[in-house]
Amino acid sequence: MLELQNVSLNFEASKDSFDDGIHHVLRDVSFKLYENETLGIIGRNGVGKTTMLRIMADILGPTSGTVIKYPGKTASLLTIGLGHKPDLSGRDNALLSSMLQGASKAEAQSYLEEIKAFSELGDSFEEPVKTYSAGMKSRLGFTTALLTHVDILLVDEVLSVGDAEFRAKAEQAMRERISGDQTVVFVSHTDAQVKSLCDRVIWIDEGRLRLEGEPEFVLSEYRDSLRQ
Amino acid sequence: MTLNHYFSLIDVQARMLLKADTSKYKLGVLWWFLEPLMWVCVFYIVFALILDNGEKSGDFIVFLAVGKFAFIWYSKTVVQASGSIVSSQGLIGKVKMPKSIWPMSAVQESLYRQSTVYLLMVFLLAVFGIYPALSWLWMLPVLLVMYLFIVASSLVGAYLVCMVRDFQKFIPLGMTFLLFTSGIFWDVRDVKNAEKADWLLTLNPLAFLIDTHRQVLMYKGSPDLAHLLVLGVVCCAVIVAMVYLMRRYTHYLALKVLT
Repeated sequence: MLELQNVSLNFEASKDSFDDGIHHVLRDVSFKLYENETLGIIGRNGVGKTTMLRIMADILGPTSGTVIKYPGKTASLLTIGLGHKPDLSGRDNALLSSMLQGASKAEAQSYLEEIKAFSELGDSFEEPVKTYSAGMKSRLGFTTALLTHVDILLVDEVLSVGDAEFRAKAEQAMRERISGDQTVVFVSHTDAQVKSLCDRVIWIDEGRLRLEGEPEFVLSEYRDSLRQ
Repeated sequence: MTLNHYFSLIDVQARMLLKADTSKYKLGVLWWFLEPLMWVCVFYIVFALILDNGEKSGDFIVFLAVGKFAFIWYSKTVVQASGSIVSSQGLIGKVKMPKSIWPMSAVQESLYRQSTVYLLMVFLLAVFGIYPALSWLWMLPVLLVMYLFIVASSLVGAYLVCMVRDFQKFIPLGMTFLLFTSGIFWDVRDVKNAEKADWLLTLNPLAFLIDTHRQVLMYKGSPDLAHLLVLGVVCCAVIVAMVYLMRRYTHYLALKVLT
């Protein structure tokens, strides 16, 4: 589906930091993503996981190396609360988010009732989002995001949403998506989630690919390295 | 992204921006009329009450209002659009979008908002005894070129601010410069040196467009069509070039915004 070949990404940082002011976020990363699989990405904060997802989503381009994607395949990030404006109602925000995720206006409008039902927001759906609690916001955001239709879904740590009841529902919905024929790349710091959802895991350390393989094996190596 | 999706997204974004903005204020939509009306009041106080020289102060208020309202459309849009890519940082890190979508949404929002200002302009002209006439149809090409000029300026501004953030500091200064050089408080046609006036109208499209607004609306004249056409074509070329640059450097722009 998608292949990264020797991908590196640098940008200019302030003069005295990093290598003479050049920040190397990714260094020579290569891996393949296969159809229908769920690939986990683990690693400490700031090692380039999000940057890698952004490159896969074609938001950023590599400084060197190539990204090969099957023609016609789309990849996008699952984002909670995309472009939400606090002064707008839940309904308007859901419409805007859906369109930013690539839905046409008619498609976006057809999702609205489904979003209202799944998020269980009831009459609050018509109220400005600024009056929502944090949990209500994430319910709206997650439900809208879940309706994204892409070939490759890139997930950056978003499963911890809402109260316990909604979280279970969200995880269930996510699991259904993943176990279907959706190709997923999944960044997570939760071992249990990685073990239960991913088919394969890659471990990124300081911008390099450190290890790739079975979830159990890669996770245990990763945990060992953190203990040292 | 299809062209249809592109334009409907711009439209929805613009409407949502307006909706969010109006819901913030108690008087809501009324502000669209109140704000330009307050400008007129300021003009009235300064030019009809304080500086009243006893003759034709009404004409001068209309003269000012037409110039100022056209200028407001330009300056507000370009200021807003120039910062639009940089201020959409959160979204740019999350979705792949043509970068021109942000300045274009700002241009569109402004277009909807300024339509009320133009309505007020028509009302004001009527109050001072200038009624709509058939020759006002000349405003259609004038407004079209004005719009193209605004789009071109907005795209250039947004691109430059994105590339070098410092450029944002120059924009308010540039607007003040244009405020004084576009013949809003004075008439370009009063410039004694004809060569100088010509230069001004050629080099500052805004001075030309504002003068054309007045010629058509106040004096029922027709615009300098050749000048208008050339300006329109140049603006179109700039727009095409900017859209191309924004596509060509879409990754670089995203990196610039995000880092």
